[in-house]
Amino acid sequence: MFENRAVGLALTLPAAIFAAALFLVPVGILLSEAFRIDGSWSIGAYIDFFSSARNRTVFLRTLKLGAFVAGVSAIVGYAAAFVIVSLPPTSRGRIFGLVTLPLMISPVARTYAWLVILGRTGFVNQILVNLGITDTPFRILFSETAVFIGLLQLFMPLMIISLVSAMENMPKDAVPAARILGANWFQVFWRVILALTREGLVIGGTLVFTGSMTAYITPAILGGSKVLMLETLLYQRVTVANDFVSASVIAMILIVMSFSANLLLKRIATARKSR
Amino acid sequence: MSDFVLLENLTLAYGKTIAVEALNLSINQGELITLLGPSGCGKTTTMRAIAGLMPLRGGKVWIDGQDVSRIPPSKRQVGLVFQSYALFPHLSVFENVAFGLRLRSEPNLKQAVMDGLEMVGLAEFADRHPTDLSGGQQQRVALARSVVMKPKVLLLDEPLSNLDARLRLDMRTELQRLQKDTGITMVFVTHDQSEALALADKIVLMRDGAIEQIGTPEQIYSAPVSGFAADFVGFETILPDGKGGGQAWRPGAVVLGQGPYNGTVRGASFAGERREYVLDSKIGVVKADVSVAHPAFEIGQTVDFDLPPETAVQLARVD
Amino acid sequence: MNSRVATWLILGVTLTFLIGPFLIIIAASLSAGNSLAFPPQGLSLKWFIKVFEIESFRASFGVSMFLAIFGTFTALVLGIPASYAMTRYKVPGAEAVRLIVSSPIIVPGIIVGLALLRYLVIPTGFGIGPALFLAHTALVLPYAVRVVSASMENLRVDMEEAALLLGCSRFGAFVRVVLPNIRGGILAAFILGFVTSFNQVPVSLFLSGPGLRTLPIDMMAYMEINYDPSVAALSSLLAFMSIGIIFAAEKFLGLSKYV
Repeated sequence: MFENRAVGLALTLPAAIFAAALFLVPVGILLSEAFRIDGSWSIGAYIDFFSSARNRTVFLRTLKLGAFVAGVSAIVGYAAAFVIVSLPPTSRGRIFGLVTLPLMISPVARTYAWLVILGRTGFVNQILVNLGITDTPFRILFSETAVFIGLLQLFMPLMIISLVSAMENMPKDAVPAARILGANWFQVFWRVILALTREGLVIGGTLVFTGSMTAYITPAILGGSKVLMLETLLYQRVTVANDFVSASVIAMILIVMSFSANLLLKRIATARKSR
Repeated sequence: MSDFVLLENLTLAYGKTIAVEALNLSINQGELITLLGPSGCGKTTTMRAIAGLMPLRGGKVWIDGQDVSRIPPSKRQVGLVFQSYALFPHLSVFENVAFGLRLRSEPNLKQAVMDGLEMVGLAEFADRHPTDLSGGQQQRVALARSVVMKPKVLLLDEPLSNLDARLRLDMRTELQRLQKDTGITMVFVTHDQSEALALADKIVLMRDGAIEQIGTPEQIYSAPVSGFAADFVGFETILPDGKGGGQAWRPGAVVLGQGPYNGTVRGASFAGERREYVLDSKIGVVKADVSVAHPAFEIGQTVDFDLPPETAVQLARVD
Repeated sequence: MNSRVATWLILGVTLTFLIGPFLIIIAASLSAGNSLAFPPQGLSLKWFIKVFEIESFRASFGVSMFLAIFGTFTALVLGIPASYAMTRYKVPGAEAVRLIVSSPIIVPGIIVGLALLRYLVIPTGFGIGPALFLAHTALVLPYAVRVVSASMENLRVDMEEAALLLGCSRFGAFVRVVLPNIRGGILAAFILGFVTSFNQVPVSLFLSGPGLRTLPIDMMAYMEINYDPSVAALSSLLAFMSIGIIFAAEKFLGLSKYV
């Protein structure tokens, strides 16, 4: 560690100024816009925003989808991570690679695949029609279900990665030890695995929840204008109605929700730990 | 030349923690001195200050008659062999040794590097990478890298601590030979008293950021000035005289089985030729070792013992 | 239940859900028919050829490549000195700096794009293209700082100190000792930044104009109007490009060490 503060500051300043000028300042102005109606400070814009039934629906849907995607990811993620960790090292590496691979591929391409699968003449409907389950194809696209499926596929790898690395750090003998001491599988999961991987769950949960909540591509492609989420609503308000006040409100909601998801999950983690 | 390296009222600190306070020390040219002390005593910090890697809070550092306090490490002509060796992993052994010479455009670069590697017996490893070498070999490369620069002072940070016992002995002889051949002034930092006693011309025993005692190995070993110094060189039983001073005995000097004192055996262990005991007594904890020829004592047994005055060392202070 | 069966069942279902859709896109893109379908109607490579004939895809691919390569490069130019300072120096307000530099990860991209459009492009007449470039650079900056910092932290400081004592200046030690030893980290940061920028949609949404669209946005626009397999073919190509990059990086660098 070198002590020269001036040099340290000089080296960090370009990056800090760049990020501040391009992010903090413009975003700050944007956020303040909803509080300034006709030159004076007010929270009227927020009241207006939430008094619209459609806006409330979009807001609640965004929360709901974020929570569902995080919850289902956690359930599937625990099963998958537990299995992956128990594999021998070489096949573990390969399977882990397959799980992380989708993260590197364009989300547009990933979401587009569901058009092929869930569309009117898509894979799922063809099977259903051919099996004689239905005559007229189901309308799966442009529904919350479609958006949910798309988001789940997009973000589940993040949960699995977090849980796998948490489980790899778990003492190897913890599960057998608990079994020897007479715990059943439910107790093993609740008292041992969950307790020892809480941090991974929190990190994965935060990533999946905030990722789903601030998603644009998936609701845009699989939800369309019928199933709006906050980001697609923001885009629509600006491009269709030039409504920058609503955009500012939505921006604030998104930022506040991302931050509070982070804080809340951190609180849960530390509260459990200290108990 | 005396006062070749001179530390004058040296004060060093990490943030608000003072590590070394108003330290004065003079090192003669061609001397091999050891900074000895437990971890946290400030020995490494002092060494880093000589190298210029540690900003001075107060005082001055002189090398070869020049005040180098404000001179950067690159211009001090000081070499340092790091405890971790700090070899450059992206360069070959040859290029590691050539690193400093290239920077000053040494005319006979190849010869100088090969001489350096020859000196540490690694000439045939010139094209290897440091990661392919054993710990002992890496250390020799680090040593050659510093020595080829012909520094005014060569600093060595715990150079033997990462080596196994046999290599340690080899390296010790090698360092002594090197020092005789080159006449280089060496400052050697260690926490191991036997290492310091075996190698040094002069030992500087440090404690809590200050010098506790300076002397030849003989003086340090047989005439410690304080309880701390005595304990550090193996006088483990210390008897205060109540006036600040006291006497100290090595475990072998304590007589067990007879004498005016008695104590309870708290610990006993077998060490081959001898048995070692720890006794609790009214005058304090006594550590003794006696030949296995003696009958053994049990833990919990009360044993008479004697502290013969003729085998004691007199301490000016016992703390 | 037999635990081996359960193991493979769980893995099978999870991997089918995560990877299966790609296989379906690849199959659909090989179709000889004119509309998007699975199973494909006959086999042909005509949609892969079609992709290269669509003018707007060619242009937007160029835009995305430019942003991904030069945006990431610029982010590294800003990020490497910052990472060096934060791992080696006592920087006053280091926490605040870290937070500011990583803010582009926390703030949703769509908001950043909108804010730049509304408060930089519109009032000052700043070009949309340069704004898009700066936005992508800022987006990649946190990844650059994080990955490069991680590899700098793994590099022992005493190696630099050794270089100083052998006669190097601070800057010389950085160039001769630090840079060669964090090459892997820098390359890993570049790949991560490239992929992030190339796949990014929300930041670019509002910073698009006539003739200036990134590839993913162009794909979304195309699929709103056309229902043919060309987007499937393009998606397959992009997937293979990503897989190729990751494979090469993992093979030659051990990318996973850095991320």
